[in-house]
Amino acid sequence: MEEIIRMEHIVKVYPPSVVALDDVSVSFRQGEIHAVVGENGAGKSTLMKVLYGLVARDDGEIFVRGQPAQFHEPGEAIAQGIGMVHQEIVLIPEYTVWENIILGAEPAGLFGTIDADRARRQVAEEIAEFQFNLDPDAQVGEISVAARQKVEILKLLYRNVSILILDEPTAVLTPQEIPQLFSELKKMRDNGKTILFVSHRLDEVMELSDRITVMRKGKKVDTVEANRTTKQDLARMMVGREVIFSSRRSQHLYGEVVCQIENLSYRDPEGRQRLKDVSINVRAGEIVGVAGVEGNGQYELVNSVVGLIQPQQGKVLVKGIDLTHLPILQRRELISFVPQDRGKMGASVNASILENAIMLHHRLNPALSAWKGLLLNFANARRFTTDLEKKFSVNMASSDDPFRSLSGGNQQKVILGRELLLNNPFVLLDQPTRGLDVGSIEYVHEQVLAMREAGRAILLISADLEELFMLSDRIVVLYRGEIAADLPVESTSVEDIGMRMLEGYPEAS
Amino acid sequence: MNQKTISALIGILIGLLIGAVILLVQGYDPLATYQALFQYSLFGLYPLSTTIKNSVPLILTGLSASVAFASGPVNLGQPGQLVMGALLATIGGIYLHLPPALEVPALLALAMLGGALWAGLAAFFRQAFNMSEFIVTLMLNMIADFFTAWAISFPLMDRKAFSPMTPQIDRAGWLPDWGSFNSAIPVMLIAVGIMWFMFNRWKIGYEWRMSGQNSLFARLGGCEIRKNFVAVMLVTGALAGLAGGLVVMDGPHRFIKGLGANYAWDGVMIAIVANNDILGTLFYGLFFSAIQTGALGMELITNVPNEISQVLQAVLVLVIVASREATVAIMNRSAARRKARQRVVGHIEEKAV
Repeated sequence: MEEIIRMEHIVKVYPPSVVALDDVSVSFRQGEIHAVVGENGAGKSTLMKVLYGLVARDDGEIFVRGQPAQFHEPGEAIAQGIGMVHQEIVLIPEYTVWENIILGAEPAGLFGTIDADRARRQVAEEIAEFQFNLDPDAQVGEISVAARQKVEILKLLYRNVSILILDEPTAVLTPQEIPQLFSELKKMRDNGKTILFVSHRLDEVMELSDRITVMRKGKKVDTVEANRTTKQDLARMMVGREVIFSSRRSQHLYGEVVCQIENLSYRDPEGRQRLKDVSINVRAGEIVGVAGVEGNGQYELVNSVVGLIQPQQGKVLVKGIDLTHLPILQRRELISFVPQDRGKMGASVNASILENAIMLHHRLNPALSAWKGLLLNFANARRFTTDLEKKFSVNMASSDDPFRSLSGGNQQKVILGRELLLNNPFVLLDQPTRGLDVGSIEYVHEQVLAMREAGRAILLISADLEELFMLSDRIVVLYRGEIAADLPVESTSVEDIGMRMLEGYPEAS
Repeated sequence: MNQKTISALIGILIGLLIGAVILLVQGYDPLATYQALFQYSLFGLYPLSTTIKNSVPLILTGLSASVAFASGPVNLGQPGQLVMGALLATIGGIYLHLPPALEVPALLALAMLGGALWAGLAAFFRQAFNMSEFIVTLMLNMIADFFTAWAISFPLMDRKAFSPMTPQIDRAGWLPDWGSFNSAIPVMLIAVGIMWFMFNRWKIGYEWRMSGQNSLFARLGGCEIRKNFVAVMLVTGALAGLAGGLVVMDGPHRFIKGLGANYAWDGVMIAIVANNDILGTLFYGLFFSAIQTGALGMELITNVPNEISQVLQAVLVLVIVASREATVAIMNRSAARRKARQRVVGHIEEKAV
């Protein structure tokens, strides 16, 4: 196959001194699906953005079809047949599918009007050519996320793009929607398009790609043929060491019930029923996983347990103490909580690492107080932070550095460390590995299992079924705010849970 | 020197340069003008002590705004809190007759109480009706303005005076002068010191700062957001009230029309220029006071009008705020470019070997 893009010795340093790309050379062939994989911060997205003209390179050269290319903005890249679909989808919800697709490249009719008939026909032909299951007249606000992603792709195809860049395309999809996207991408490849896609999910990469480029810490490790490598090899190249994929939960006896969620119901201010009669028990030494498509009540469940919202019905008890009407501080004496959004709930990113590490401990840990509890004992706060740094192997220069200077994995270690050092009997984990790289995910999983061994009761909310099956003793499925299933992990399967996530109660069989 | 100091100095320098260009265009000699400006504000004991004395209300209202903004509440009620504090101190001074050692602290306490009550009113509206303190404090400024104008024109009016003003306060409540240094200065410095200590060493200050940066995070960390909100409003109101009390006890010794001048808005401006930093507020308060103080001398010995100091002040505010972000970005970008160069050279050398 002939080479269509060559990138040579690309260097990019983000101010002030983050080396994102360090002498990266890579080539892409006409008509292949080429995955670029790597941990967060490996430089894979930056490489694609440099190619697309979104990020200016500091050094190196790019050749498109043998010609040197320098794109200053995406429009120039599109003119050369290179288009990119971003993680977050930007469409106009009030417009129909075909209106969104032609927006910015409308076929002109008489007197400069839009030739609507021709536009609609062209879009319909495009959809038929690639066998996308999509109605050109549907309103974008009404269609699913997966369908919107197709609209984004069609937008580029409509502009005659022959090289498609997809940044983490499966991140927004449910497990059931992924195979369809993959078969459509393969169809596009067979029609002669070149597809570059960025991912850190190795299963998908193995399934979809022809060739794979692995990046680590801003450098290219290697480009390999997909059918001549294994998931293990890729993981080793990505992380730089051996990675264990399966974690063994030891068999042990559970203790008493620590957390009782009883008949919780919550109606939001707009009157929508978000939780309906939800009951979950978690015993000491047990991990209960909560599965569900996002927006089926997970958010409200978490918020009613920690006390950000007040459910209209039901109770939350930890260690027999009814928390339902207690203020957050009193709840937090019993609940360790790792929120899903580090920057919004888990930390203050502009504050120092120390200031983030001591939150809540400043109230509960007497060693951090001085002078009748009025002052902070900074010497002990520093010692506490160093202790956390060691115990949870946080990689940081100084505890006075701003929290945002840490990598995502290290930020999560600080948050996890802070919450676990509270020594609370109940641990609430809301998507604790979201956005983390393989190495950090492995670390978080180890910590979660260690907590289980230590006899804590753990409620784990996750969108990642693989993670739930690896860690949980029991899995409950939330569907439209109700518990659709509550099963021991041994007696169910990923497919079964996936079904219940989409359809609630399965047909009686 | 850290980036913050460098960018502040660069900002001041560029601001003064732009000011010089404006002076040149107007046909004045910028060097002579600046010389006069700083001669009458910084060089010499008397000019310096005048600058520091004039900075007191600016720094205290600036401190009020800095602490409020850094902790979350948008308290823009310093003008109202200042005049309410001044009014309460004046009333106390008229009716209380204690020995100076008691009278002065009593009046200062009344001034703080006046400001705190006025800010507390906004805090109450926020808690009870969820009304934004931003708009409530602004509106309360108007009410305070007209209320004090009414108070000094009718119930508290000095019968012997020809314009609205109260009678003088008891002599025991006058702030003493120690040589050329004014006793309002140590009061201001103590206030700055306490606020710095509170912000950086007290638990409550830690909670305030965290709530100001990310209130959801602080809330989940067990901080009592609502209680802290009220506390911040009361404390910052008290600071602005204190400024008003000091103006009365140090200056005219009575509440006269227009007493609040533009102190509080200058204070808010100083807080913004200082990026809500407490020591920064102290520094910029002194700096802007120097420009305002020196402007009088400048008018005396050059023919540059006093108003040019306001132009200069405006230019400095814009340039310092703009350069805060810009210098850091420029320094970071050039550091990145250097590093990229190093990488490229390094790779070429590797290949050569």
